[in-house]
Amino acid sequence: MSEALDIPEEELRIGVYVCHCGSNIAGVIPPKEVAEFAATLPGVVHATDTLYACADSGQSLIKEDIKKYKLNRVVVSACSVRMHEPTFRGAVAEAGLNPFLMEMANIREQCTWAHGHDPDGALKKAKDLTAAAVAKVSFLQPLDMIRVPVSKRALVIGGGVAGISAALDLAEQNIPVTLVEKEPTIGGVMAQLNKTFPTMDCSI
Amino acid sequence: MVDAARQPLIEVKTYTEVEKVEGFVGNFKVTLREKSKYVRADRCNGCGDCAKVCPVEIPNYFEMNLAPRKAIYIPMSQSVPLIYTVDLDACIHCYKCVEACGALQAIDFSMQDKIVEEDIGAIVVATGFSHFDPTPMEEYGYNRYPNVITAIEMERLNNSAGPTSGRLIRPSDGKVPQKLAFINCVGSRDKRFNPGCSNFCCMYSIKNAVLLKQMNPNVDISIYYIDIRTPSKGYEEFYDRARSMGIHFIQGRPAMITEDPQTHNLFIQSEDIALGRVVEHEYDMVMLNQAAIPQPDQEKMSSVLNVARSPGGWYMEYHPKLRPLDSPTDGIFFAGACQGPKDIPASVAQGSAAASRASRVLHSDSWQIEPTVAVVWSDRCVSAQGKPCGICERSCPYGAIDYQQGRAAEVITAKCHGCGGCVAECPHDAITQLHYTDAQILAQIRTLLAEEPHKKILAFRCHWCSYGGADLAGTSHFEYTSNERGLKVMCSARMDTDFIYEAYRLGAGAVLYSGCHPQDCHYITGQVVGAKRAKRLETIFERMKMTPGRFRVEWISAAEGDKYAHVLNEMQATLDAMPEEELLAEIDRLRPEMEKRLGRLGTIPGVGPALDYTQGIIEAMLSKEVAVK
Repeated sequence: MSEALDIPEEELRIGVYVCHCGSNIAGVIPPKEVAEFAATLPGVVHATDTLYACADSGQSLIKEDIKKYKLNRVVVSACSVRMHEPTFRGAVAEAGLNPFLMEMANIREQCTWAHGHDPDGALKKAKDLTAAAVAKVSFLQPLDMIRVPVSKRALVIGGGVAGISAALDLAEQNIPVTLVEKEPTIGGVMAQLNKTFPTMDCSI
Repeated sequence: MVDAARQPLIEVKTYTEVEKVEGFVGNFKVTLREKSKYVRADRCNGCGDCAKVCPVEIPNYFEMNLAPRKAIYIPMSQSVPLIYTVDLDACIHCYKCVEACGALQAIDFSMQDKIVEEDIGAIVVATGFSHFDPTPMEEYGYNRYPNVITAIEMERLNNSAGPTSGRLIRPSDGKVPQKLAFINCVGSRDKRFNPGCSNFCCMYSIKNAVLLKQMNPNVDISIYYIDIRTPSKGYEEFYDRARSMGIHFIQGRPAMITEDPQTHNLFIQSEDIALGRVVEHEYDMVMLNQAAIPQPDQEKMSSVLNVARSPGGWYMEYHPKLRPLDSPTDGIFFAGACQGPKDIPASVAQGSAAASRASRVLHSDSWQIEPTVAVVWSDRCVSAQGKPCGICERSCPYGAIDYQQGRAAEVITAKCHGCGGCVAECPHDAITQLHYTDAQILAQIRTLLAEEPHKKILAFRCHWCSYGGADLAGTSHFEYTSNERGLKVMCSARMDTDFIYEAYRLGAGAVLYSGCHPQDCHYITGQVVGAKRAKRLETIFERMKMTPGRFRVEWISAAEGDKYAHVLNEMQATLDAMPEEELLAEIDRLRPEMEKRLGRLGTIPGVGPALDYTQGIIEAMLSKEVAVK
């Protein structure tokens, strides 16, 4: 595993994609200017803005560029990693690049959406965040996911309608279930109700 | 209910609590406490002879304490499983039940709680909700006026299996009420108690009104509401039906209920928005539709499961739109009202949906987890040189480090969750974390502080919480200073002192050190490791006489977008309050202190060349700025 810690020796060929996210980003800052700025950074061989990086067209562009420009690192300046990191990791992997060689800069949630009244400040920040992602990606190494075994048993905590429904669906798929309820009977609040709306049928 | 008990693949464990959840997706080790019922499940046939002879009577929670139960009991006649339970707190040990049980010998007072451990691949959390107690709302007189009851109490009184066999009667005199009112949004949509909407109460009060009207068309029913919310299929039609049945709908939140002490009749004073004036009406009985609130033990369960809670206390989903049933922990899913108030159709649908999310894991032979684990440079580990240490082992929440003096510490990869605590704690810089190496993070810090660092606020955030809080600040469009420069690691445990010293050495105006609240930590006690270090740093900077507020430690959950914005704005105010030359002088004064503490930085593998390379990026950034100007 120690080889994963060495500084990359191959020539860096970084692609940078700056997303408009419709007007979510482009309504506050010009993504094109961020891309032009990124193009001047060492190791960046291609930088461009894109209307929706996460859309099929945006992902295809990245995938084609990886082949066309022989990119070995990708930076996507767009939204939160909590939103689309899996999307872009998937996209670069489809183009044959290790998914851990993609880094995102969050210029939507943590930039244009939070600094809508300060476009100049937002632009500076978007450039800095993009440059920091370029810096990080320069030192990233390919990693492989770790595969772990799976115990074939589900635990459902709570024996109300939601828990019962989950337990039944799992069991019907042949998955053994432990259904845990803290009271002496399952049924939850539902069992306390008389008839239920809108069909007025019995709750039990 | 019965289906679940009959399904051979479902093992129903009632009267059981989840004590501990360890491990990770596909490999959870769950510890359950099967509380002793003092009745043997394999022998009890549910005949109830024991309860008949039991001399103890206490209120039955299931009947909202409106009816008694015995010390040996089932909560309701359709209980599943139909096995009696001895409530040992109420039992007087007369053993009449044992006698009544006779040859079955099902009652066994020697039974003990059973602790069992299970290997679990995926967990569905469906712990439901609880009811708001309206007693603190003095204006409605609940618990003071006998004829003011809650809707769930009415539910039991109106239920043929309930304490009155389905006859709704006034608690004050046992008479059948002829004029009734329901009040909606009791404790919900109320900033004093629960600001949120409880989701189902509009339909719930309409349902109860329709039921009463069906039983007795002459009964006079009014529903007081703020808004009627009927967004699901068939709901608006149901509301129409209620109106056509002659149920009165009065728009207005009642200000006060008073009582005639003789008749115990009630007077509701309320605005009637349709009439545009204040009205007062007399009723025989008033039902309060109380708010749905989180379970009282939801906080405890969130620590057991290591999942965070949203404002209001409900479990917090990974993403409200894209992954509404996933917890932030891989392999743990939510269903039903534990994630937020929900009605029955939505809860059932979520149960099925959560089952589907869980079965993705359970049907796989293996599951992929992130390789962002810790790795030891064995040649730097002092233990290999025979010196005692073990700091890494002590900082690890998972017991994933094998430390034995005399050989280099080793990370057990399958157990490592990648918090990075050991990496930052190792005093000899002998451990690193894949994808979050010192070289990578230092390169980011230098880039973010390339230009006018004294104007910048460098914000360290953990992946799960404070980064999410920053996201939520943006999603909610809470404006904060654009001088913030954010940087993400997996856990505050990874926030190395070197990173903070380096930020100040470079001339950062301020630094935010932020992670989750201790009970929300995604890495059990990772936050504790991070918090201890933050405390040390605070003391050090205090001794250096750094201006207070230039180093700030804040625990911010993914639900606290407002807090993130607020903290950043306060930090900006601290910087604004300092004359620039004073700030620059302080930075210069402290730089040698920081350098002293960063002496070993260049010796960490990869850091020297990485920082040399980063210099090229910084120069390109600065020259571009000059060119633009």
